Amino acid sequence: MKTTDNLIKEKIVDIKKSQQDIDSLQAKAKNSNVDRRDFLAKTAALSVTALAGTSLLASEHAGDPSILEPQSWGTKWGDPVTKNLYGMPSKYEHNVTRRYTKLLASGNFRASIAVTPIQESSGIITPNGLFFSRSHGGIAHIDPNEHRLMITGLVERPLVLTMKQLKRYPSVTRTHFIECPANGGQEWRGPQYNSLQFAKGFMSCAEWTGVYVKDILKDLGIKPEARWMLAEGGDSSKMGRTIPMEKVLDDAMIVWGQNGEALRPEQGYPIRLLVPGWEGNLCVKWLRRLDFASEPWYCKEETSKYTVLKPTGKAIQHFYANEVNSTVTSPSPEIDWTDLKDGDTVEIEGLAWSGMGTITGVDISFDGGKTYKEASLKGLVLPKCWTRWSYVHTYKKGEELLLTSRAMDDAGYIQPTIDQEILKVGVEAVYHRNAVETWKVEKDGKITHVEVRSQLDRKANGELVIEGKA
Amino acid sequence: MFKLNKKLLISISAAAALSLGLTACMDSATPTDTKNVTKASIDGGVMYPVVNGKTGPYQVNEKAHSGAIKFGRTPTKAEYEEWDSDVMADGTGLPEGEGSVEEGEEVYEAKCVMCHGDFGSGGGGYPSLSKGNAYELHETLTNQRIKPDTDGPVRVFGTYWPQASTLWWYIKDAMPHPMTDSLTDDEVYALVAYILNINEMEIDGQEVDDEYVLNREKFLKIKMPNRDGFEPKIDGPNGPENVRKYFSNPDNFGAQKVKPSERCMTNCQEKTAKVVYIKGAGISDFHPPLSEVRDLPKEKASGFNAAKAYEANCAMCHSADGMGAPVIGDKAAWAAVLTKGKDKVYSNGINGINGMPPKGGSSLSNTDFKSVVDYIVNKSK
Repeated sequence: MKTTDNLIKEKIVDIKKSQQDIDSLQAKAKNSNVDRRDFLAKTAALSVTALAGTSLLASEHAGDPSILEPQSWGTKWGDPVTKNLYGMPSKYEHNVTRRYTKLLASGNFRASIAVTPIQESSGIITPNGLFFSRSHGGIAHIDPNEHRLMITGLVERPLVLTMKQLKRYPSVTRTHFIECPANGGQEWRGPQYNSLQFAKGFMSCAEWTGVYVKDILKDLGIKPEARWMLAEGGDSSKMGRTIPMEKVLDDAMIVWGQNGEALRPEQGYPIRLLVPGWEGNLCVKWLRRLDFASEPWYCKEETSKYTVLKPTGKAIQHFYANEVNSTVTSPSPEIDWTDLKDGDTVEIEGLAWSGMGTITGVDISFDGGKTYKEASLKGLVLPKCWTRWSYVHTYKKGEELLLTSRAMDDAGYIQPTIDQEILKVGVEAVYHRNAVETWKVEKDGKITHVEVRSQLDRKANGELVIEGKA
Repeated sequence: MFKLNKKLLISISAAAALSLGLTACMDSATPTDTKNVTKASIDGGVMYPVVNGKTGPYQVNEKAHSGAIKFGRTPTKAEYEEWDSDVMADGTGLPEGEGSVEEGEEVYEAKCVMCHGDFGSGGGGYPSLSKGNAYELHETLTNQRIKPDTDGPVRVFGTYWPQASTLWWYIKDAMPHPMTDSLTDDEVYALVAYILNINEMEIDGQEVDDEYVLNREKFLKIKMPNRDGFEPKIDGPNGPENVRKYFSNPDNFGAQKVKPSERCMTNCQEKTAKVVYIKGAGISDFHPPLSEVRDLPKEKASGFNAAKAYEANCAMCHSADGMGAPVIGDKAAWAAVLTKGKDKVYSNGINGINGMPPKGGSSLSNTDFKSVVDYIVNKSK
């Protein structure tokens, strides 16, 4: 058995020999009239030999112990298949996890949120264990055998269903994001989080399976005066929201399936309402009751919260759809460019989404939104769904950049600048912030969350204006 | 699928639309629809009606969604009433009952103050119920914190909520937070009276003072200061159409619409726009702390709490006389036990002694068990 050192020496000899062959060929090409194409073909062939035979060695040092030294997992038995019959992520992935901050929590962490590490997300699906989790009375653990869905109010034939009966209706599978409308809501007055997970992670995306609400209603005889539906949870908070009939009869679903398995308790097991594209809060978890009425309900979470206070002192209520939005996900404050070398080709990647339709394009700016270039969409482009986009960039070491992405959708909307948005809705809105987001690439490749915006001022009549604008 | 025609939806009821949908169900793939796949919807976005067997990019088994299907059964009256707890703005669902401010304060002090603070001041991540006089503070809703020293709007029940029905319903269904649906109707009236009182509100010209007694009739006369503070108007037969109109104007909600070919590609920022940085450390109280490292998780730095373990496993015997066990805090009893030496005390506890089962019947590790012993000993010095 050859020692490692000997092996390496032999490889070096091989490489040197290949290189000598190339050199001599080049010399020949210079000195004689060897056909250039012939030369290129031969060098190519020699290079292939060199690569196949060894690999291009970087140095004569011993090399990477990860390669040179046998690892325990390469020589010893792994776990039997009988272990972990429900699989778990590698224990090395323990830092890829939902996170919370006390700022966004009730003291008992029951009316709180834990957000998704979208800096680590790939593709357009969030694994169920990482899907953001928001509850108003803690995460209920419901026995599906004891759970019922009751449909009452302005219907000719009220209905109660067991979970087994509910699943008998024709199933529908759709991939949609769910976003808390407070995503980015702490940053109306300036950047707060040097973190993608907290700046934009109040959302996730999954493939959902369930039934259309309209398919259940067909037999129930909705009365003509029914204009609104109350959806109410069976958890201790009895979270309720009012939904207009048009959405109920369009694409609203009752879902039990999430990425091919049952909903997680954090997502409302055994069932939640899914109102595609609309505020996550409308997608009532632990759903137990649908009620129909001619007047809206004025639930707590559609009056005291989830309303957008404007500078006029009036607040927008029933603000349903999460508007077109995007973010750069790579690089991020969490996973930066400090490891890049000058001249490296790097893919800038991001997510775009719109609760009002389908993403039609994303532009990227390197100067904080002054000038834009068109980025490319990647993979599946679905309605009301995360959409991946990317742009290939050549990195210059030491260069400062302001990376800003801007998405458009097929409803005709484009992300506003921060100035455009706050001039209209002010800085006290809390919800529905979808202005463009900026990462500053520092000289050392670190990423800092910044905002590009003007200072606002107020006219005597209360109207917001840009300070110092001619 | 009903016909997704805006005018149709406006002019006829949803129910009629639905039944129309059943008969004319999959006729929506008319040439007009094919030409115009996406249509304006109530939220300002687009809809994807089923056209040629597809909704957007998804294939649809149209037959599966074309007819009425029925499973389940009719709920009984008792079942319906058990869950029908909502209270609407016009008082539908609001039961009879009464409660005074004084009674409300008593219930509040017993069941609410630990979270919502004195006089509803809030704190610790729990919402404030009052910041003072609702009518005066209602004026703050136009406040905008555009400069560092400006005060923000006060958004509490008295200043912001449009309907009192929301408060009654919410307290009845969802409070107190750790044990919901546990208050009587009279207690809820009393709490609502108390919250009106601390918001310095009046009903029908009468101040809700300390002597005030609230009942259903008076409740229905509450006029919230911010009743007209919300847009669009959602009440009445035109509610949904008001919403549609509102969201058809991007200016109303800070949105921007543009033809893709006309979108800004250069000079897209105001000249006044500057790079604004996070102030100080910003919000960085993240749990667990941010890390992108791939390594083995650290051994759980004992999240173990001896006091809690004591309460869960030991207190039933060691907290009271008459159980035969030395009582926590009884210095003489524990001094006597400790004459055997700490190690003997540990091992007796781990193996069991007299009436005490090994580790008190707990499943604590030896290390954790010893720290519970230490906890008891320290409490008994």
